[in-house]
Amino acid sequence: MKADQSEIEAEITRILAAFLEKPPVLTGATDLVADLDLESVQVMEFVVEVEDHYDIAIDLESLSNVHTISELAAVVARSLD
Amino acid sequence: MDLMDKFTVLRERQQELADDGADPTRVVMERLLSATEAIVDGRRTILAGTNNYLGLTFDPECIAAGQAALAEQGTGTTGSRMANGNYQGHGALERELAEFYGVPHAMVFSTGYSANLGTLAALVGQDDCVLLDADAHASLYDGCRMTGADIYRFKHNDPDSLEKRLRRLGDRSSRTLVVTEGLFSVLGDEAPLAEIAEVTGRFGAYLFVDEAHSLGGYGEHGRGVAEAAGVLDQVDFVVGTFSKSLGATGGYCVSRHDVLSLFRFASRPYIFTASPCPSVVATTRVALRHVRERPELKTRLWDNARALHQGLCDLGLTLGADASPVVAVRFAEKPRALATWRRLLELGVYTNLMLPPASPDGSSLLRCSASAAHTPEQIGCIVEAFRRAVADTDEAD
Repeated sequence: MKADQSEIEAEITRILAAFLEKPPVLTGATDLVADLDLESVQVMEFVVEVEDHYDIAIDLESLSNVHTISELAAVVARSLD
Repeated sequence: MDLMDKFTVLRERQQELADDGADPTRVVMERLLSATEAIVDGRRTILAGTNNYLGLTFDPECIAAGQAALAEQGTGTTGSRMANGNYQGHGALERELAEFYGVPHAMVFSTGYSANLGTLAALVGQDDCVLLDADAHASLYDGCRMTGADIYRFKHNDPDSLEKRLRRLGDRSSRTLVVTEGLFSVLGDEAPLAEIAEVTGRFGAYLFVDEAHSLGGYGEHGRGVAEAAGVLDQVDFVVGTFSKSLGATGGYCVSRHDVLSLFRFASRPYIFTASPCPSVVATTRVALRHVRERPELKTRLWDNARALHQGLCDLGLTLGADASPVVAVRFAEKPRALATWRRLLELGVYTNLMLPPASPDGSSLLRCSASAAHTPEQIGCIVEAFRRAVADTDEAD
């Protein structure tokens, strides 16, 4: 079954909101570094949470161009296909 | 967009540090007095952040061996071993390292950084996988990136996280290299290598451990955390450096696998780098002998490490890990870390300032490393300087 990217995006947004101490309004376009001021190590920790949630492994190369929640959702969707 | 534009942010950050008077890159050791003291900014300063764990940089036997090698063999090799040939010392050091670890194969590199790059780049290729501890040293990340393999991170020091990822890799686990460190260099926390080796072995993967900060300080014979955990025979590749406990520069890899001898034809960081110079090889060989023959060095290192850890703990400071030769003090706020680092230097104590993103969990750290050459009085001075520096910066807030 093909993964629904919009559902994944909503789920990732929920995981991110739980991950942040004081989450702002999050959208698919939210940039993890520029908008949320996350350090790279915090982004990594968040991605590990996402990996464990979906029971997938995302390689570093796939993450190299990921900046936003939508872009991460697309990577997760490809891993689930 | 100009080629140089990318440096704008770095320039601003460097200027911020300079404005704060807390730029570690501008600290100059004007004169070295011993393994644990230098003149910095005209002031006698205790060195509490040099990774000189066994304090061998001024060891008379090491110095004599280095001087003799300089006189007999010259200042450098002027090229790689592939092109210029081997010096007798290169092979001798490799044999001694292999014997020290009880394995048949050893390979020497010109730096610890190139040992990680050179080993990983030769061992792992496209279609292989690497599972890398998230807090691994930059040289391990860089080495992994050179491989072309799929790289996945597991949670720092978390065998369960590793297991999940090995399971997700399925059949690919047999062509997966698990990469971690014995003692993590920034916080001083030890890897749970017994658990990691068990999980790695269960999935048929291979294990690579960087013992850069644990050589000489861990294990009955000083071979590192894997020896201390009783799993050295389950580690496929051990990498380390001469630039910390052995007081020189260079790196090595040892292994029971005979493919290591083939790395000489496959490892670009080995092939295309000038080989270690004779004086460095000579001092390293003597230092390695000291690790084998002078267990009191390890005892003194640990006495000092525990005293430093306890002293800083008693001040109510938040430390990065349990007692180890690396003692990292955490600060919630970056300005406080900067001010404390600067005040410590004024009080005659040099530590390592580590700020995000260089610190593993986004916190700001003042990192200390104990040395066997520290005297109990010096350890006391370091702790007292921390007490005063923290109090002074509290008042300044």
